Amino acid sequence: MKKATTASAFASRIVTVGQLIGHFSTGRRIFMLPLLILILISSLLLVLAGGLSYVAPFVYAIV
Amino acid sequence: MSAVLGISAYYHDSAAALIVDGEVIAAVQEERLSRRKNDPGMPQRAAEACLRQAGLEAQDLDRIVFYENPFGRLERVVLSSLRAFPRSWRHFPAALQSQIGSKIWVLDGIAGALGVPRGKITTVGHHESHAASAFFPSPFEEAAILTVDGMGEDESTAIWHGADTDLRCLASIPYPHSIGLLYAAITAFLGFEVNEGEYKVMGLAAFGKPSFQNEFRTLLQLQADGAFELNTQYFAFHTDINIAFSPRLERLLGPPRRRGKAWDLTGDETDQRYADIAASLQWITEEALLGLAREARRRTGSPNLCLAGGVALNCVANARLLRESGFSRIFVQPAAGDAGGALGAAMLGAIELDRERPARMTSAALGVPICNDAARALCGSLGLHWRYPGDILDEAADLVLRGKIGAFVRGRFEWGPRALGQRSIIASPADPGMRDRINQVVKKREPFRPFAPAVLSDRASDWFAEHDNDMTPFMTTTARVVERQAGDIGAVRHVDGTARVQTVTAQASSDFCGLLERMERNGAPPIVLNTSLNGAGEPIIGDEADALGFFMSHPVDFMVLGDILLEKGANPS
Repeated sequence: MKKATTASAFASRIVTVGQLIGHFSTGRRIFMLPLLILILISSLLLVLAGGLSYVAPFVYAIV
Repeated sequence: MSAVLGISAYYHDSAAALIVDGEVIAAVQEERLSRRKNDPGMPQRAAEACLRQAGLEAQDLDRIVFYENPFGRLERVVLSSLRAFPRSWRHFPAALQSQIGSKIWVLDGIAGALGVPRGKITTVGHHESHAASAFFPSPFEEAAILTVDGMGEDESTAIWHGADTDLRCLASIPYPHSIGLLYAAITAFLGFEVNEGEYKVMGLAAFGKPSFQNEFRTLLQLQADGAFELNTQYFAFHTDINIAFSPRLERLLGPPRRRGKAWDLTGDETDQRYADIAASLQWITEEALLGLAREARRRTGSPNLCLAGGVALNCVANARLLRESGFSRIFVQPAAGDAGGALGAAMLGAIELDRERPARMTSAALGVPICNDAARALCGSLGLHWRYPGDILDEAADLVLRGKIGAFVRGRFEWGPRALGQRSIIASPADPGMRDRINQVVKKREPFRPFAPAVLSDRASDWFAEHDNDMTPFMTTTARVVERQAGDIGAVRHVDGTARVQTVTAQASSDFCGLLERMERNGAPPIVLNTSLNGAGEPIIGDEADALGFFMSHPVDFMVLGDILLEKGANPS
């Protein structure tokens, strides 16, 4: 099975970012766009600060 | 025409399903190949196995459809965390790490793993996948559809109407109000593993009385129009990833059961109380499903109902729905849980490309076949003695009738969590002691767990009532054992007088049907005890190597492996 190249993987992620912004830019979700950016930044900080990394049974219910 | 791959992944029970020119070519759960129970990872092995079965490469696919919208899921996570703030603050980092770190990139992961352009990958809604997996493989031209799950992107439950190639959502119930999550939380309360122990709770329920009805009415408030509301004060799954229920539930139902403690339902009053709690949970689940089904019937006017979602695997509830909901026919495909989302997603993709409905499902044997040459070669390298009998099915039937326990491994493995005669442990259904022997010695599981019978379809009426329906071929419902024949099948009759019967036809499984015919030819009922071929905590056997590993490490007396027969007397145990 042919694997994706680094360039195509990067391009793929750009497509996802575009779709993510598109999803949160439509309808009533647009109010969540600033929140999403805030969350992206704060989640990066939380992860770097050693946030929870395990997966427990009810992680399904939440995430 | 088209080639479409459906994928479900990243929560539990990941799977892949392939439809080529409107026909389901293969449908495979990743756990069968990875050997990791309920494997939630990217189903690369399953996808490759599906493509191999069709003789295709990933580049030949016209479309890959993922079974839910990852951005919709992210939206729900953010909103539900905000709603539950400040109680949700502790799980927030883990939730976001999981979402932002991996789950929103799932489509990129699929493109990278399969080496296909990202543009070929699309998504459909979680409950839409479930609805498609329930209706399109069904024998119905049109039907009401109920999808009842832990949760989807935002909904836990939905009522649909399906007609030809169309699906229309009529109503839905949002997270966290969820029958699936209620069942999961009480599963944890009873000391079982979530996403695995729900079957055990269903079996345990038959040993209890629903004496906690008032308490469960407090937990799940049912409304006249079929809607329901979960009293979230008693639960914690929406605020904490480690615990399912809050201290308030313990005040309502008493202390939770310790995980791993041996069960005693013959004299221990405490365990009897837990059985009563299980029975009460089963009761409220059935009441909620009945309300939903009646509302679905009222809205659609259809005589047919299709069910999907994890809750649709509750075969006891399905039987009650058929008796009391007003629907004439009910269909539940064998992989009704999240794995089935892969099939639904593939079907939605195929319909969009072809404008035609895929062929209905007549057999669950959609997995990877046993390779006879590889099995013989492996036996040779392991120094195992095997025979190549003239009529291997007749020999197997004879061994079963002599009280032996066998492993039956033929053809392509099954789609879904039930063993349907391709990867089964088989034994005589007559002796109730056989149930204890297999539970304790072979499967090493709780003594209250029942076993299912497999019976020739056209002979089932002699032993079972209420069996003639669209679910029994896939073992997704129960039937009453005819009282006067109960002595014939003591090992497969549950304590409540029912059995999770599988009716077998040559069309669905010619080998298993042949085995049952030979049972009858030898003077016995055409019935075997049938349980999944796996050890404790393991996925069901996939290939010939798994099967031989099981044979060598478990006390079964013989194994039919493709076209060869192995017996323990001739081999080291």
